[in-house]
Amino acid sequence: MNRNLQLGIHPDADKISVFVEGAATAREQEKMLAHLAECAECRKAVFLIQPHEEPQRVTATPEKGWMWRWLMPVGLPAAALACGLIAVLIYIRPHGVSKTPQQMASLRPPETARPGPTAALSSNLVQGAPTANADRAPSINSEQVTGSGGRQDGLAAKAATNGSRQERPMASGLNLLTSKSEQATANVAPQKTGAAPSIVGGPVTDAARLSGGISTVTVSELPLNGRDFTELQQLQPADTKGAASQNALAGKKELPALQIQAASAQNKTLAGISGRITDRTGAVIAGGTVTLRDATGKKRQSTTGTDGSFHLMQLQAGQYELTATASGFKTSQQSIELKPSELAMLQPVLDVGAASEVVEAEAVSSAVAVQTESANVSGQAVAEMTGAHRAITLPSGVGIAETVSHGKRFLSLDDAGNLFLSRNGGKKWKKVKPQWAGKVIRIELASGSVSEAAAQKPKDETSGAAGEGAVFLLTTDGGTVWSSKDGAHWHQQ
Amino acid sequence: MELGPENRLLSEKLGEELWRAAGAELVDVSRAEFAEALDTIGARDNYGLDPEKHTNERQREMFWRALHLEELALARGCALGRESAWRRFLAQYREPLTRAAIDMTGSAALGEELVSAIYSELFGLTEREGRRWSPLLRYSGRGSLMGWLRAVLAQRRVDQYRKIGRETELGEIEPAAAVSEQIELEKLGDLRVALKMTLSEASAEERFLLSAYYLDQHTLHEMSRVLRVHEATISRKLKRATERLRKQLLGTLKGRGLSRRAAEEALGTDPRDVDINLRKLLQKSAGDPIPDKERQG
Repeated sequence: MNRNLQLGIHPDADKISVFVEGAATAREQEKMLAHLAECAECRKAVFLIQPHEEPQRVTATPEKGWMWRWLMPVGLPAAALACGLIAVLIYIRPHGVSKTPQQMASLRPPETARPGPTAALSSNLVQGAPTANADRAPSINSEQVTGSGGRQDGLAAKAATNGSRQERPMASGLNLLTSKSEQATANVAPQKTGAAPSIVGGPVTDAARLSGGISTVTVSELPLNGRDFTELQQLQPADTKGAASQNALAGKKELPALQIQAASAQNKTLAGISGRITDRTGAVIAGGTVTLRDATGKKRQSTTGTDGSFHLMQLQAGQYELTATASGFKTSQQSIELKPSELAMLQPVLDVGAASEVVEAEAVSSAVAVQTESANVSGQAVAEMTGAHRAITLPSGVGIAETVSHGKRFLSLDDAGNLFLSRNGGKKWKKVKPQWAGKVIRIELASGSVSEAAAQKPKDETSGAAGEGAVFLLTTDGGTVWSSKDGAHWHQQ
Repeated sequence: MELGPENRLLSEKLGEELWRAAGAELVDVSRAEFAEALDTIGARDNYGLDPEKHTNERQREMFWRALHLEELALARGCALGRESAWRRFLAQYREPLTRAAIDMTGSAALGEELVSAIYSELFGLTEREGRRWSPLLRYSGRGSLMGWLRAVLAQRRVDQYRKIGRETELGEIEPAAAVSEQIELEKLGDLRVALKMTLSEASAEERFLLSAYYLDQHTLHEMSRVLRVHEATISRKLKRATERLRKQLLGTLKGRGLSRRAAEEALGTDPRDVDINLRKLLQKSAGDPIPDKERQG
């Protein structure tokens, strides 16, 4: 216990560092948090311990060529001009929507809840009244518009003019409508004639967006015109986007200008892991491999970027095993318990060295007492682990089913049953010519007998072939077992 | 705490293996000294298990293997005053330690001063029970040696703060509330009691988050680094804790006879004020520890 701090009993430096480094057991963590909640001095110490975040490594950029220097003064104004043009196009696009065939939507509250002005306008449209009442919120029923055929050209044009001028009032009118009626429905129908220019889609879209009542739309009520509903959902513009972009999207994709709220809420329960691999000095490690294995053995892999960071998202809550590897560093392994909708931040610290080290640590507090374990393993086990967690790409491009290794000699089996051998730690791969009949279904590394070792003595002893006591074994789908000392020359057992 | 030979649980074979793995020979730590260190640490932390639990051989072996053995051997060597260990320690940790001290103090001069004070302490200039004593003997190897050194630095820095703070740094301490507000809060003595009751029901993590955020004004990012979760998670937890705290406070106040309106007024009717008021309340109750909670030993 520390005697220097203020009166009272405080955890010593060892307990604090164990807590800060996440090596504390659940009970220790709980006790520490309870103490920290009340002790300002220890809290201060804990926050002081946190190392300052190092700025990202600056990588030397190659000197730009003469062409780049020459183009630079021209390129910047050109880029600015292009941005301006895009902005103008985006601005113009919603106004041009009326010239393209556009599907229209209507928000139609139930008869009982429909307020007078809208109902009047709607009936005006159906009856082909020469003008729509611009002072009232127009509500256009797409079915009626479609059904009225060519006669409606002029009408639609007038309605469009009014609609565009009265965009805001209409929006607010619809807003009122949907807020008053809980059973507001939205119908989407394609405009078959194509002749009637309509601007109604825009305001309606805006109104629909603003009203917030679209969530009551049911799938069965939407004529989808052969489109898949799930596809439709994916293409919905975000809630925060403006009406202009929404219209642009609708025009481009010929989508109904309506917003349908995504029904799936499953993503909210998914968790993620994010972090950064560093070495002992805190320097980030780029190009490292992070492998995440769930309880069923399913793996997900990510490679760290130039800033050493990695992200594994869309994960189900549960227990995972995370392995961090990088060339020239020891392997680090952690088990993590992910809670729903939690984004865990990890910072695996890798020690320099060729041998593998396995560290298992409980990252999340739990009621059960947690043991920490690490083992300096050597020989076969190390080789297996190193091989299993290395980022490997086989020449076949097919997924890897299994990998075993000894020293720098890696043997990988892809999903198609092809066997590949690497003599340099997974950098270069060569397909092993099958001497057996059938497909390889399993490979493993086993300790071999002396006779086998003698019988299969590799040509080059120094090339990293499996040493005495380690033999590669493969099993074919026919049930035959083959063994090899070097992974290249095989003998049936 | 040192164990006699009769209490040694580390087998000779495993002891030898761990001694070799730690490279203890390079820092002049004998097998017996290293074995004693391992036994002492294991017994002190009950091999990483709950204190009342019995351990078996496998659990003990797992605990020992999980230690930062090389760093433990180095720390032991230094604590025992072995020159080779100190040479290695200085070569390995001098620069990072100075850098860490400068980071903590925000000044090169203060950092150097802090580090030199630590060195003399680590070297074992103090004596306990007639024997030379170095804090490095307390290093268990469960965390990294650098982490332990940072913790020692941080503790000494806090000591410095406290010593100086008594005389000069009062200006930095924000008053709990303005005088008029203080009177207002004091009128509501119930509020403090209610807060104490509510806080005693909150989990340790929630109390830590509330204290770190409202009292120390640490950022979500800083807190996320301490708890090793994303700051969005911290934000969510904090929001949940604050809301629950407010709700429970309202309930407690109403239970103590205040009307809903009076209770809400006591906490701040404007939701934007809730944070500020909670902070004031937490500050007021900070000096008055929660009696129900066992203090860390």
